[in-house]
Amino acid sequence: MLHLSVIAPFLFAILVPFLRRYLPQTHTGWFVLPIPLTIAIYLSSFLPQIWQDEKIIRTIEWIPSLGINFTLFVDGLSLLFALLITWIGTLVVLYSAYYLDKKEALGNFYVYLLMFMGAMLGVVLSDNLVVLYVFWELTSLSSFLLIGFWYYRERSVYGAQKSMLITMAGGFAMLAGIVLLYVIAGTFSIRELIEKADVIMASELYLPTLILILLGAFTKSAQFPFHVWLPDAMEAPTPVSAYLHSATMVKAGLYLVARLTPVLAGTPDWLIMVSGVGIITLVWGAFIAIRQTDLKAILAFSTVSQLGLIMTLLGIGTDLAVTAAVFHLFNHSAFKGCLFMVAGIVDHEAGTRDIRKLGGLAALMPISATLAFIGTFAMAGIPPFNGFLSKEMFFDATWKAGGLDYGFLSWLGPVLPALAVLGSIFTFIYSMMLFFKTFKGSTKLDQLPKKPHEAPKGMLISPIVLGAIAVLVGLFPSLVAGTIVAPAAEAVTLVPQEVKISYWHGFTPPLLMTLTVVGLGTLIYWKLAGWLKVYAALPETLSINRFYDGITNYLPVASGKITGWYMTGSLRDYLAYILAAMSLILGFTLLSQGGIAFDYTNLAPIAPYEYLLVAIIVLAVFTIFFAQSRLVAIIALGIVGFVVSLLFIIFRAPDLALTQMIVETVSVSLFLLAFYHLPELKKEEVKPRTKFINILVSGAIGIIFALVAFSAHNTKLFETIAGYYLENSYKLGGGKNVVNVILVDFRGLDTMFEITVLAIAALGIYGLIKLRLTKKGE
Amino acid sequence: MNNLVIWPIIIPLLTGISLIFLQKNRVAQKSVAVMGSLISLFYALFLAYQVKTGGILVLQASAWQAPFGISLVADVLATLLVVTANVVATACLYYSFKVIDRKQEQFYYYPFLFFLLTGVSGAFLTGDIFNLFVFFEVMLMSSYALIVFGGTKPQLRESVKYIAINVLSSALFVMAVGYLYSVVGTLNMADLAVKIKEANQVGLLNTVAMLFFIVFALKAALFPLFFWLPGSYSAPPAPIAALFGGLLTKVGIYSLIRVFTMIFAYNTGYTHTFLIWVAGLTMVFGVIGAVASMDVRKILAYNIVSAVGFMIMGLGVFTTVSIAGAIYYMIHDMIIKAALFLLGGAVITVAGTANLNKMGGLIKNHPTLGWLFFTAAVALVGIPPLSGFTGKLLLIQGALGAGQYWITGISLTVSLLILFSVMKIFLYGFWGEAKTSLQVKQGSTKGLLWPTALLIAISLFLGLGTEFFYPYVETAAQQLTDPSDYINSVLKE
Repeated sequence: MLHLSVIAPFLFAILVPFLRRYLPQTHTGWFVLPIPLTIAIYLSSFLPQIWQDEKIIRTIEWIPSLGINFTLFVDGLSLLFALLITWIGTLVVLYSAYYLDKKEALGNFYVYLLMFMGAMLGVVLSDNLVVLYVFWELTSLSSFLLIGFWYYRERSVYGAQKSMLITMAGGFAMLAGIVLLYVIAGTFSIRELIEKADVIMASELYLPTLILILLGAFTKSAQFPFHVWLPDAMEAPTPVSAYLHSATMVKAGLYLVARLTPVLAGTPDWLIMVSGVGIITLVWGAFIAIRQTDLKAILAFSTVSQLGLIMTLLGIGTDLAVTAAVFHLFNHSAFKGCLFMVAGIVDHEAGTRDIRKLGGLAALMPISATLAFIGTFAMAGIPPFNGFLSKEMFFDATWKAGGLDYGFLSWLGPVLPALAVLGSIFTFIYSMMLFFKTFKGSTKLDQLPKKPHEAPKGMLISPIVLGAIAVLVGLFPSLVAGTIVAPAAEAVTLVPQEVKISYWHGFTPPLLMTLTVVGLGTLIYWKLAGWLKVYAALPETLSINRFYDGITNYLPVASGKITGWYMTGSLRDYLAYILAAMSLILGFTLLSQGGIAFDYTNLAPIAPYEYLLVAIIVLAVFTIFFAQSRLVAIIALGIVGFVVSLLFIIFRAPDLALTQMIVETVSVSLFLLAFYHLPELKKEEVKPRTKFINILVSGAIGIIFALVAFSAHNTKLFETIAGYYLENSYKLGGGKNVVNVILVDFRGLDTMFEITVLAIAALGIYGLIKLRLTKKGE
Repeated sequence: MNNLVIWPIIIPLLTGISLIFLQKNRVAQKSVAVMGSLISLFYALFLAYQVKTGGILVLQASAWQAPFGISLVADVLATLLVVTANVVATACLYYSFKVIDRKQEQFYYYPFLFFLLTGVSGAFLTGDIFNLFVFFEVMLMSSYALIVFGGTKPQLRESVKYIAINVLSSALFVMAVGYLYSVVGTLNMADLAVKIKEANQVGLLNTVAMLFFIVFALKAALFPLFFWLPGSYSAPPAPIAALFGGLLTKVGIYSLIRVFTMIFAYNTGYTHTFLIWVAGLTMVFGVIGAVASMDVRKILAYNIVSAVGFMIMGLGVFTTVSIAGAIYYMIHDMIIKAALFLLGGAVITVAGTANLNKMGGLIKNHPTLGWLFFTAAVALVGIPPLSGFTGKLLLIQGALGAGQYWITGISLTVSLLILFSVMKIFLYGFWGEAKTSLQVKQGSTKGLLWPTALLIAISLFLGLGTEFFYPYVETAAQQLTDPSDYINSVLKE
């Protein structure tokens, strides 16, 4: 049953194209809506069990021989994510039914979306890391397809490719990390890995494993410097941005980090990498968000920054930090989902997302404006919304994290709270920008492509639900504290958590930090025009986007240069490479592995006329080198062949000699015939350098083969099987000519297929000649 | 003694021969071809099952006892590859029905196809190193005939290179066999395995091993011997290119795996370390070529090269897991490369060009083709749950388990670049704006897609159904790393 909730979206996705084709009048979204809703309700039914501290494990065998089973595991953490995926999924599908026009390729859209939903559920519910990885890559794929939904737009294709390359690069690294974990601990199961955590921590492969797995998590969760794909992913339709690129998929990296905390966390390496990268992402994302003018771009960078915030908390890894991380993750999904949907509504109704053109919409779109108010103020961390509570906890956690062991980066601890405040100030500023620049100020109706008005009611339902959660959780944190946050935090820290969230702690450092944020934030926002000049001072070339573009553009060019350099298309070059490689490989092996053997004892005496014959061969070969015309070269080559057949006669191999003679006669006359018809060409001028290399290579090849031939002749490790043939060719084979018996009997199979080769050659040549002629005749 | 072993060679041979006489009658030709391919395929499946359940089967040709006669040996590896070769050949055959015109059919296109299959199956099944050469010749001669088939200018230009280089490698093959015979005095692979183990692979045997490496590496298109491949494989029509891409290089890989696991496996510190280097360089240079190109056929052809590197990586690491990975990857690659070449052919047909710069937006009118291509591309990269993933997982597991870290790193980086290079075809060809000039004249994909859909379905099955296939592959790998089973089956009295 649990497996069905992962597989059902995939199965239903198969039906979607048919629904789209045969029921085009109804928006396909309405057919899809029950799927996430049903799964959401089903998964919610696990909550009581989780409160009882029960864990649900269900296994279907997939590849047991490789230790890979489709095991699903429900605990507080996976259930929190699964509920986010399905409930927000329900809201997003509902929203999309109003947002997307019926003329769009809805079939594709919902297939991708369902694929994503199933895959994402698979990621958070899998106990087996390989299965997790399988679903992980599927989320990347469906994200790629959704970003490229409007495939004819150049920016969509660019964004899709970028997200795919970056997340899959991380995915591959993560796969290597997973396999390393297997190498260390001998299992892919997360539960079993947790039991072997001490072995893993002690292993010398710990650090590479950690880095590789974190690369996967960081790319997926858009951490600095891999965050660059997320803003470009905003080319996707807004429901997708709300769902994948803020509420769920980008949190997969956080999930992985949280899930593997019991396996990998607790070392300075972990603390430095996870918190360090997280805090940089927090500050940088928020800092850059202020510069953006597109609503969705601001939200994208804001998502980057908020993900960094949660990552920082997971890195710190204290009970308080983990609780704060889980709580903020939940809150972020609510307010950010709401904000994305509002941004979509603004885009839908006003026709633009450019904050320079927008303004004063509050009067025209009061509900949307209220929702935006809730969302942005929650994000800025202002009471009484949910964001305030989790941000206070964040400040508290960073404040108390100073005493942890930061290894060689000991200064990071004390700086952490300062950076947290800095990032939060930026967050405050862009939150205010989002709300005030869009909904307050003067309306510039003339600049808007459409005349804005409030969105249809259906489209408002989903953001209202999310906004309501932001308010309710803000007012009554105990609604989620014990029910959702505590079980999830427990699953990470492995110790029971008592979560109490309250507004007033007295004049504690966190409160002061919040006050600083609001004070300084308001000040800078007031002087925003001045502040924006800061960005102009940033060196443009240092941009990570440029780096990415540089690589993707330069890579084909550089590859082209390399490939073009050696792929000349000339047969002679290729032969030269091959022979050169051969002489290097064989020469090196011969020298390093030994085996050169000269032994003259076993040789027959050489008669004077044999010297003469060999001298003729040598002369003929040199004639070929210096021949000015093809005919001379061919005839010289013929001479070599005929002299070799003479040698065969001397060595008493008449059948070989006959064969050789026939072959030589036929091939020489054929060559002569063919060359007679070829145009008379001047001998090609070859550069001296090329010539030198060619001589070197051919000389080396000649020497090496002579050496190997000598040595092979002189190295007889075993008695050959030839004796058997001599003994048995008459007795068993019934023939006195041993060669004949070998050819037709002992090794008759060879002969049969050599004949086949000849037949094929004949047919081939016949076809080549005839088919050519008919083509010419056309 | 078992006659079952020779039928995978005889069935395509007989089919080919009978097709020669049916050249005038198209219907008869096609029906015989279909029948022959199906019989051959099902027989191969039957044989694979027999071998898996009943152990290695051996036929001593003409009943001459090994090592004096020629042994045909069906172990799990050989039969698995025979099955895969039959699958690929069958798909290419059906695809050919639509794209090979009547004139070409009359000039023995189908017989060549079956002779090629004869050679390939023979190469997999033989247990004699000289006989391997003979089957190489059968296969090569058919490939020569197929590559010039139709005689267009680029075909003639590329086939001269192809033939010249292969003739060179054939000559080297004979020389290598000669040297080996001189030193060890036998040609039977099982006997070679015994004797080289006894001699502890000293001195000159290593040079001979390297000579065999060069011979097979030329066929398999390994660095630094792959230069002939990208041109030759992008010249002939799609089904022929698919056949070459799916089968020919893999015969080279098979031979390397056979020779460097059973026979030359006693100086691995030298030979197999060398193989790992070669594997890394092959992957890198192959993928660099693919990344650079904007020609659909060239991109695919260079990808053959880089994929070959993955298999040799498994061989070089030389553990049971890594060899299993190499075999799994090889089977996957045979199927998916054939599918990609066939789909590439369809893409070129509908777009009227192989140049990606001139394509765009094909998915609008050809969604099925687009999604098939997408799936095949994803499988090629090794993204789960398609077939490429299992092989890659095993390869990585083998390499990391053996402490070969840098080659793992290279292989994963190369995977990413493979993704970049094949997705280029999808992004530029299927996505993007439709180029208006192409809308006018567009070919049809009628009848071209189902053979490839079949191949892709098999790929999906290979991925999801790993549990079903893996025991075969594992047994194959075990029979290679511990050749005693093979040796005993062949040399037993």
